Amino acid sequence: MAQMTRRERILKASHGERVDKLPFFHNWRHMQTGWAERECRNRGMGISWARPSYVTKIHDVDITEQRLIVEGNTVYRRTYSTPVGSVYVDEMRDAGTGEWHGMRSWRDVTPWHTARLIKGPEDYPVVKYIVEHTEYIADYFPIEQAKDWLGDEGLVMDIHPHQPMQMLMIDWVGSEGGRFFIHHARYPDLVEDLCRAISKSREAMYEIGARSPADIIWCGDNIDGVLVNPRLFEKYFMPEYEKMARICHQHGKLLASHMDGRVGVLKELIARTPIDIIEALHPPPMGDLSIGEALKAWPDKVIWVGFPGNIYSMGPEATRKHALDLLRDVVPGDRVCLEASTENIVSNENLLTLISVMEKADLPLTEEKINKIQ
Amino acid sequence: MDKEAYLKSLKESIVNLDFAGVVKSAQEAMEAGVDPNEAINQGMVAGMAIVGEKFEKGEYFLSELVVAAEVMKEGLNVITPYLKGEATKKLGKVVIATVAGDHHDLGKNIVSSLLRVQGFEVIDLGVDVSTEKIIAAVKEHQPDVVGMSALLTLTMPKMGEVIEALKKEGLRDRVKVIVGGTSITSEFAASIGADHKAVNALEGVKKSVEWVGNKARRN
Repeated sequence: MAQMTRRERILKASHGERVDKLPFFHNWRHMQTGWAERECRNRGMGISWARPSYVTKIHDVDITEQRLIVEGNTVYRRTYSTPVGSVYVDEMRDAGTGEWHGMRSWRDVTPWHTARLIKGPEDYPVVKYIVEHTEYIADYFPIEQAKDWLGDEGLVMDIHPHQPMQMLMIDWVGSEGGRFFIHHARYPDLVEDLCRAISKSREAMYEIGARSPADIIWCGDNIDGVLVNPRLFEKYFMPEYEKMARICHQHGKLLASHMDGRVGVLKELIARTPIDIIEALHPPPMGDLSIGEALKAWPDKVIWVGFPGNIYSMGPEATRKHALDLLRDVVPGDRVCLEASTENIVSNENLLTLISVMEKADLPLTEEKINKIQ
Repeated sequence: MDKEAYLKSLKESIVNLDFAGVVKSAQEAMEAGVDPNEAINQGMVAGMAIVGEKFEKGEYFLSELVVAAEVMKEGLNVITPYLKGEATKKLGKVVIATVAGDHHDLGKNIVSSLLRVQGFEVIDLGVDVSTEKIIAAVKEHQPDVVGMSALLTLTMPKMGEVIEALKKEGLRDRVKVIVGGTSITSEFAASIGADHKAVNALEGVKKSVEWVGNKARRN
């Protein structure tokens, strides 16, 4: 098979087509720019780059930010004042926050919300007001620029925020102390009403994304079956994926969802979603579903494998062994891509180890080929 | 209504995750003169045991464990004033924390709640807790078990740092160390010298009960 560019390789594989080599790329947001990254790219590593297709305008809401000391810690309090009341969020920022990609700190972590936007039932109508007064406006410049810069080195995705119920679970209500679950049990009407409002408001955003120059629409959902249990997934998440996918597919776009947690319990339900790419699926020992098993369970989906961070922490030998085991698990290697990192810094040594395996991962993979790589 | 009916009603309120029901049942039980200790142990704790069984069978999920513990808290708010200062004997003592640099607390909080339900005294140090603070708490409270949680691969090594500090302070042999979190593997737990890696909250609590039980038998 003729050698493909990295962009062609990732895209064709993401459409489920046979490619020349198992696509291997680094997530731009977590990429450790430097000599090792350069060497890996010279040896075939691609890049996936997620950028938004829109900007937002929030009407009739005053937003102010102040620096405060709360319980001995410096926090940044952002207050949203609306005609129906106000809510605030406190954010603790690690050293270097905003200096790294995507508001991340030097240690590559996002700011901690020490006080969430929604603290009690009285906050729901205020947040609903904010949601209903948020306007999504198309702005394709970030995607066009990234595509121009990246060329054939990789691909650019449109980034969508967490879907409505996940927005509440992870961002606005938060799961600390099980708060989201308790709110969902105590105030189901408020939670569901807000979820519906977010979903409605997002329709414009989905349409903008689907019409964007991005090839793939990526929803950074962070699905973990321990938190998003099957009942929640089926009731709230699946209908939203259907809505998103319908709009994406109308415009020829693929839909990817970031599912980097333990999704074994959701296996059958995920199979029923119209998602095209299960992104950042972590096999054991971080996740609980092997890639081979996932490929069998989801015959119409493509898997972008997230390499487990706890393997990186065991060093290059363990990284090499895991990469080879992974290849064995996915023989012949169709419908699979490998991402160097989505959430964990890889280290130069581990990155070089990965490329030393992946540069030889010609498809179709066979046991013999893998033994040769070894 | 007889005593058994009140206890059954309390138990069912927990299993059915019924906030209003547990308050009503607890009030009625106390007004009818049910022994508060029986109401807690044979009513609500028994309900929590059923919730635990359902969790293990996959009928209930983490969300139900969290909500059941919260429902039990509501019931306890009603019953506790009726205990009239009776000292309840604790099963054991646990110091628990999410290690420095990590702010994830869902797992830790569930473990804390379930340990309390089991009768442990829990000293929950919170999130982003420094090694020094954990060591100070171990010295002050002399727990049977030290529980540590971390979700980030970046913060996992802090658990090893705490265990090393326990050794340095001559405290390691006095406590059992249990670690948990999505990124933690049994191999990692063994490599840092932890006694156990919790598979999930319930299993971690069972292991702690087993440890203090063994200790009590030895003593």
